[in-house]
Amino acid sequence: MRIKSALAAAAIVAMAAACGSGGGGGDAAEPAKSGGEPVKLNFLSLAWQKESVAANKEIVEAWNKANPNIQVTYVQGSWDNVNDQLVTSFEGGDAPDVIHDDSPALSGFASRGYLLDLKDKLPAELKSDIPQSAWDTVTFDDGKGNQGVYGVPFLQESQVIIANKKLLDAAKVRVPTADAPWTWDEFAEVSKKLTKGETFGVAWPMKSPVNKTLNLALNFNGTFFQTGADGKTTVKVGPEEKQVLQRIHDQLYKDKSADPSALGMGTADPLPGFFAGKYALLPVGVYLRQQVVEQAPDGFEWVTLPPLKGETTNQGAVSQTLSVSADSKHPDESIKFMSFFLNGPNQAKLAKGDWLLPTSQKAAADPSMTTKENGWDIATASAKDLVVAPFLKVNGFDEWKSKVATPTLQQYFANKISLDDAAKQLVEEGNKVLERYSR
Amino acid sequence: MTAVATRPPRTSPHKRRKPRSRQGRETLLLMLPALVPVLLFSVGPLLYGIGLAFTDARAGRNAVYEFVGPQNFIDLLSDADFWASFRIGLIWAVSVTGLQFLLSLGLAILLNQNLRFRGVARVLAVVPWAMPPVVIGLMWRLVYHPDAGILNSMLGTDIDWLADFSLALPAVIVMGIWSGMPQTTVVLLAGLQGVPKELYEAVEVDGAGTWRRFWNITLPQLRPVIVAITSLDFVWNINQFSLVYVLTQGGPGGQTRLPMLFAYEQAFRYGFFGYAAALGVATMIVVLAVLGIYLWRQMREAS
Repeated sequence: MRIKSALAAAAIVAMAAACGSGGGGGDAAEPAKSGGEPVKLNFLSLAWQKESVAANKEIVEAWNKANPNIQVTYVQGSWDNVNDQLVTSFEGGDAPDVIHDDSPALSGFASRGYLLDLKDKLPAELKSDIPQSAWDTVTFDDGKGNQGVYGVPFLQESQVIIANKKLLDAAKVRVPTADAPWTWDEFAEVSKKLTKGETFGVAWPMKSPVNKTLNLALNFNGTFFQTGADGKTTVKVGPEEKQVLQRIHDQLYKDKSADPSALGMGTADPLPGFFAGKYALLPVGVYLRQQVVEQAPDGFEWVTLPPLKGETTNQGAVSQTLSVSADSKHPDESIKFMSFFLNGPNQAKLAKGDWLLPTSQKAAADPSMTTKENGWDIATASAKDLVVAPFLKVNGFDEWKSKVATPTLQQYFANKISLDDAAKQLVEEGNKVLERYSR
Repeated sequence: MTAVATRPPRTSPHKRRKPRSRQGRETLLLMLPALVPVLLFSVGPLLYGIGLAFTDARAGRNAVYEFVGPQNFIDLLSDADFWASFRIGLIWAVSVTGLQFLLSLGLAILLNQNLRFRGVARVLAVVPWAMPPVVIGLMWRLVYHPDAGILNSMLGTDIDWLADFSLALPAVIVMGIWSGMPQTTVVLLAGLQGVPKELYEAVEVDGAGTWRRFWNITLPQLRPVIVAITSLDFVWNINQFSLVYVLTQGGPGGQTRLPMLFAYEQAFRYGFFGYAAALGVATMIVVLAVLGIYLWRQMREAS
C-alpha cells in the first residue's frame, strides 16, 4: 500500500518533469531538405469576408499543387484577438511561419525581435512591383537602431466618401472627380445643403475614431507625433492637427449637418440609415463598398467619391502585411510562398475579395481594378494619395491609442470636452505613456 | 523517497514508541500525490510570478531582463490607470458579492420552502453554473445588443448598454451577479437545511413572527456559511477575467477594466511582463488584507 502510493507519487513527479521540460526544446524538427518529407508551413490568415477567404484558400491550394515539397496549411485567425494570440505564440515559440497582420502591429513585434528582417531576402520582382511608399509602411527599427523590412505590404485602405446618388442629384451639387476633389470647405457646404428634414448630410461613425482622424489629419499635414533631436517621440497637437478635429466637430454641433447619434457606431453600422436616406454621405474606408453592394435594397443608387482635399490629398496609410516569424524553421521556403502569394494576379484576386487596394502595380493595372463598376476606378486612383502614416513608427502607439486617444476623441466628438482640453489630454497623458517605451 | 517506500512494514508492537511521528510521515506520504501538482502548478508559478514582479521583464525574443527591486511597485502607485482599474475592481467585487448574496439568500429561502415543483425550481436555479464563462459572456452580449438585444426590445429603449460610459459597469455587474448566483444559492440552501427544526419550533412557541425567526434564528445559524461564501465570492469576483473579457474587453474607455484585465493588457498587449506580475502581486496582497480583516472581525464577533 505504502509502496504503491510512493510509486504513484514518483510517477507523477516524473511525468510533471517531462511535461515541464518538453515545451522549451526546439531541436526536434530539422529541415527536411534531402529526404522525401515535404516541408510544412503554417500560414495564419485573417481573411474574414467570404470572397476573401475563398481567394486565400484558392491561392494556397494552387501553391500546394505546384509545390509538392513545400506544403502550406491554411490557419484561420481573427482580427479581434490576433495580436494577443501572436504575443503568446511568439513567447511560446510556436508561432505560424507566415503571418498575416497589419503594419501598426508589426512595429512592436519588430522591435521585440519576433519577426524576420526581409530586407535582403525578397526577390527583386516582388520588390519592384510594390512602390516605395508601401514599403515605408513596413520598415521599422529593430529595437537596436537598425532599420529592417518586417513584412510585405499587400492591401491598403484609403478613405473615400460613399454617397446617395439621388440625394446628390436633387441637391444639384458639383460631383467631384479624382482630379478635382471636394475640399473640406466644399464638403462642409455640400453637407449643409444635403441636410433637409429627416436627412443629415453626413454620418461620422466614430466608435474607433483614432486611426480615421489621424489618417485624415494628414490632409492638413497633421502628424500628431514629433521626434525630437534626442530621438524621443512626443505627441503634438497643434493647429495642423486640430483642423480635421475642429471641422468634424463643427459639422456635428455648429452646422448640424452630421448626425450626432451616428457617433457611437462602428464603420458599417450607419448603412441601414444610409439606405433609408437618413444620411447622404458616408466618409468610410474603400472596403465598405462591399457591404453596400451586398446589402443595398433594389434600385438604390450610390456613387464612390474621391477623398477630400485639405492642403493636400494625402492620407495616412497602413497596410495589411505578410511576415515571417523569426523562429520559423523554414524561412526560405516561407519567403518563396509569400512571393507567390503576393504576385500581381494573386494580389488582384485578394484585393477584389477584400474590396481593398492592392500595393502591386501590376495588380492595380488589372482591368478589374479600374472598372467604373462599384467605384473601383475612384478607389484605385485614391491609392496615389497614400503616404505612410506617421504614427506607424511610434513605439507605444497602441497603448496611446487605446488608453488616451480613443476615450479623449470620443469625449471630444460627444461635445463633452473642448478642443483645447482634448489636445491637452492627448499630449500630456500621451507623453506619459510614450515615456515608458523609450526607457 | 524510495528509501521510505521500500522499508518493510512495521508491525511489531514494541516499535509503537513513536506513533505520532510515524503517523505524520504516513500522512505526508498519502498527501504527496495531491501535493505535488499543487506545488508544481500553483506554488511554483506563484513564486515565479512574485520573482518576475521585481524584474523589468518585457516581451521579446531572447529578451534579457534584470532585477530592478521595487521599481514596478513604485510605478504602480503613481499609475492613474492602475488606480482607476483598481477602483472599478473594488466596485465590481463588492457590489457583485453583496447583491449576489442578498438575491441568493432570498432564492435559497424560497427554494427551502415546501413549494410545488421544488425539485424543478432547484435544478433551474443551478443552470447558469453549467455554462462556461465564455458562453455566458456571449449570451449577455446578445442580451445587451443595441439593435437585436432582448433588453432593448423588452424596455422599448434604444440604448447601447455596453458602449455607454456610465451604464457599462452596471450592465456588467448584473451579468456578474447572475452568473455567480448558483454557487451562492446552493451553499446557502445547504446551510439552511442544516438549521435544526427544533429552534424554529421553540421560537414559534414564544410567538415570534417570520421576521423575528429569520433575524434571530436563520441568520445567526447561517453565519459561518455566509462568511465562507461571501469571502470566497469576493476572491472570485475581484479576480474575474473571462466574463468581462468576452463581454466588453474592458471598454468603453476602460470603464469596465477590472484589475486582471488591466494586468492582461499590460502583459499580452503591451508586453510589460514584469509590471503585470507586480500588478498581480499587488492584487493578491489587497485580497489577502481585505479577507484577513473581514474574517478576523467575523471570528471575533462570533466568539
